[in-house]
Amino acid sequence: MAAPMRQTVLSLYKSLLKESAKITDYNFRLYALRRTKDAFKENKNVSDPTRIKALIQKAQENLEVVKRQAIVSQLYGSTKVVIESKT
Amino acid sequence: MATLARTGRSLNSVAGFVLRTTVPRLSAIALLHKTQDRRICNSALKICTLNISKPFTFSQLRWYAGKAPLTLETVQKRVELVLKLYDKINPEKLSLDSHFMNDLGLDSLDQVEIIMAIEDEFGFEIPDADSERLMRPRDIVQYIADKEDVFE
Repeated sequence: MAAPMRQTVLSLYKSLLKESAKITDYNFRLYALRRTKDAFKENKNVSDPTRIKALIQKAQENLEVVKRQAIVSQLYGSTKVVIESKT
Repeated sequence: MATLARTGRSLNSVAGFVLRTTVPRLSAIALLHKTQDRRICNSALKICTLNISKPFTFSQLRWYAGKAPLTLETVQKRVELVLKLYDKINPEKLSLDSHFMNDLGLDSLDQVEIIMAIEDEFGFEIPDADSERLMRPRDIVQYIADKEDVFE
């Protein structure tokens, strides 16, 4: 993988994880985190440049989705799930 | 006499909470001016001299807005703890000089996750350009020490 592409992928991965962590609803948050990790790990051996470009494009679109959903979830809030309570 | 006793008591409680030795000394002087009773003055002065003669030890327990001061040792311990809690690292194999990719068998995605965990632990962002270089626990400790002005 070309060096600049590697940079883009890693920074996309980081921003996706960061944005996913901001979702307030437990189930959606953990789904977003899990899906991000799975998708990146699934495609980590892809070497075809056009395929990588397509995947980067897909990740960028999904990053926008996650960002929007994080904001929407913060606006409307959500009740905590039982496993999130501290006691 | 009742008021004198009360001032004496309040002085005692002030002496109990002393933050600086000057606080009881000042209030003792105030008491001297206020009262003519030598006995109370003497006891008040005794409280002061007791506090002054004691070595001034003071350790802060709460850090309201600030954080507890970091030392190289605590930084190292916290980094190690974060890494040990990361599920893909075998805690037995982990040492300060083990390379994440060569020794611990992680990939660059895992390394990004580790850096994010470190960011959460120490509460500041590590830019991508810097995070690429952090491949060993020792590098991370050194980087945090540089950023947070921690010296030997």
